[in-house]
Amino acid sequence: MRTITKKPEVLAPAGTLEKLKVAITYGADAVYIGGNAYGLRSRAGNFTYDEMREGVAFANEHGAKVYVAANMVTHEGDAEGAGDFFRTLRDIGIHAVIVSDPALIEICATDAPGLPIHLSTQASATNYETLNFWKEEGLERVVLAREVSMDEIKEMRRNTDVEIEAFIHGAMCISYSGRCVLSNHMSHRDANRGGCSQSCRWKYDLFEMDTTDEKHSLLGGEPEEAFSMSAVDMAMIRHIPDLVENGIDSLKIEGRMKSIHYVSTVSNVYRKAIDAYCANPDNYEFQQEWEDELWKVAQRELSSGFYYGIPTEDEQLFGKKRKIPSYTFIGQVIDYDEETQVATIEQRNHFGIGDEIEFYGPGFTHHKQTINTMTDKDGNAIDRAPHALMHVKMKVTEAVKPLDMIRKLKA
Amino acid sequence: MIELITTAESVEQAKALIQADIDMLYIGEKEFGLRLPTTFSREELIEMTTYAHEHGKKVRVAVNAIMHNNRIKSVIPYLEFLQEIEVDSITVGDPGVIHLMKKNALHLPYVFDAQTLVTSARQINFWVKRGAISAVLAREIPYLELKELASGVSVPLEILVYGATCIHQSKRPLVKNYFGFVGSDVSTKRQRGLFISEPKNKDTHYSIYEDNHGTHIFANNDINLLDELQVLNDLGVTEWKLDGIYTKGQDFISIAKIFVKAKTAIENEEWNEAMLEELNKQLLSFHPGERGLDKGFYEKDPSEIQ
Repeated sequence: MRTITKKPEVLAPAGTLEKLKVAITYGADAVYIGGNAYGLRSRAGNFTYDEMREGVAFANEHGAKVYVAANMVTHEGDAEGAGDFFRTLRDIGIHAVIVSDPALIEICATDAPGLPIHLSTQASATNYETLNFWKEEGLERVVLAREVSMDEIKEMRRNTDVEIEAFIHGAMCISYSGRCVLSNHMSHRDANRGGCSQSCRWKYDLFEMDTTDEKHSLLGGEPEEAFSMSAVDMAMIRHIPDLVENGIDSLKIEGRMKSIHYVSTVSNVYRKAIDAYCANPDNYEFQQEWEDELWKVAQRELSSGFYYGIPTEDEQLFGKKRKIPSYTFIGQVIDYDEETQVATIEQRNHFGIGDEIEFYGPGFTHHKQTINTMTDKDGNAIDRAPHALMHVKMKVTEAVKPLDMIRKLKA
Repeated sequence: MIELITTAESVEQAKALIQADIDMLYIGEKEFGLRLPTTFSREELIEMTTYAHEHGKKVRVAVNAIMHNNRIKSVIPYLEFLQEIEVDSITVGDPGVIHLMKKNALHLPYVFDAQTLVTSARQINFWVKRGAISAVLAREIPYLELKELASGVSVPLEILVYGATCIHQSKRPLVKNYFGFVGSDVSTKRQRGLFISEPKNKDTHYSIYEDNHGTHIFANNDINLLDELQVLNDLGVTEWKLDGIYTKGQDFISIAKIFVKAKTAIENEEWNEAMLEELNKQLLSFHPGERGLDKGFYEKDPSEIQ
């Protein structure tokens, strides 16, 4: 029986130390995080050096890696201190930095030799000669532009041996990454320095003007539909064989701003699917439950981006928002007593007696049950769990373990 | 040395611009160049290059597209052709092209032009160390940054002093997709006359159109840095580009002549307020009526941008 031993890496976002641990526990081989400078997510949780140290220690214990995104496009003065920053990351044991700006690449290579550099998707690498250019510059890996097709990746793989990373899940820029400054011009917020105001998702008028400045709107639809450039999200769960067989080294999940519910769920699904494929590629079957699971944390509809063709209007958010069943993350298991089958749960969102809840855990374990009784931490019976982070005990119908998560369908 | 660089929409216009004493034509084929007023055949490129050289002028060819695999293959014979006809320089935005030229021993002087991504001296010097002879500055650089940047770079720098400036490139056909969704049959041929306006600012008018490279959106107003030319000259930012993508025919030639006058006056130290005022007035009369003009990010305070 054929098996695949060189599995691609599952690379998950981690906005905080907690998310880092969750992502790795739920199967990520690597996570990417932000530092306090030079990144593109000024509002995402960013790591202090101490948090990075703890994150790296946790990752090393679990055989995982931690990358730091430092993918801003610097203006005069922005790169000051970058040498110290990269050196500190290297000494902390960060496994690589994700950079797009050639000034930062040069500073990193000069001031922190030994720290591997990955080219960010922000640089829009779309052909193998570009990949080879960066390889000769000493980069270890290139994150491809989201605009490349599966056939193009296949051809790149044949023409370069630099590591290839590609996005497989999450929200997408509608533009070539880096080549959009709508936000700069419309909101005075620099899209390439962490300030993107997501102007692409706004609703615009579309019109012609004659030479006397008279506007003639070209909006159509019934009811009238505004012009917009909002893309649906990506999910490549149906295409695991292509991702593995075409030699992509790292499969990237978007979303440093997303919740631990999202990070745990998405990492869990792709871990499961990739392991299933690599264990027995010739008898692999896509499981609908994987995709169903991804829908539980989806915010928009899902598509395969540019991998199998240029996206049409069906891959943009037009018209009435179609309703996606939405789940609330309600808590996390922190203890389980096998003898009494009682789990201790840390509350994250309001829940109570009568709620239909779903437990899930690393390795894609799941079970559903209804809450019939529960107590507070001192054993007093309660009906509701209203307080954030309060500890609740309840009997569970199947064994659970610490770090299992609990969700419920939103009413 | 100040150099005025202009686009061209036809061979006739290119010749007229050279007659008007601009220094360099910026032209190319749409397969490899971004947002050009027109695409030229190889014969036309030869004709214009020969004409320019006969008149002591230069030609810069746009090879600044984002290249996917197919394009990075088909660009090789194009680069060989450009080398053979001895164009003076090319613009390049994709490092794959730089890699290719090195690999194939092609010796075309190149100007680094990755649009929004060229924002600091240190970046530019990175490309200079890898052979670039100049760089095209991003439009999002305020004067206070430009001053710093210019003092940190030893090669000439190209800056847009007149014309439309792109602020977004998507590979998706965004306008076609919209019309597809609403079931409208607006002709794609009209697309260079389309605008969008912001939801909270109905008076804005960002040009939008599609071509073989995807969808392009331009800033609300076109750039006019006529009254900053002296400052640019003093900073040593002296490759001045005029982009005629939205300014047609004779009007664009007339505007080029205005900049030729300004350049000559600055070189002869005769530039003054009265001249500026007069030339600015003339410029407005040739600029398309439905399009605004301003200085873009030039006058912005860097600390305003978050």
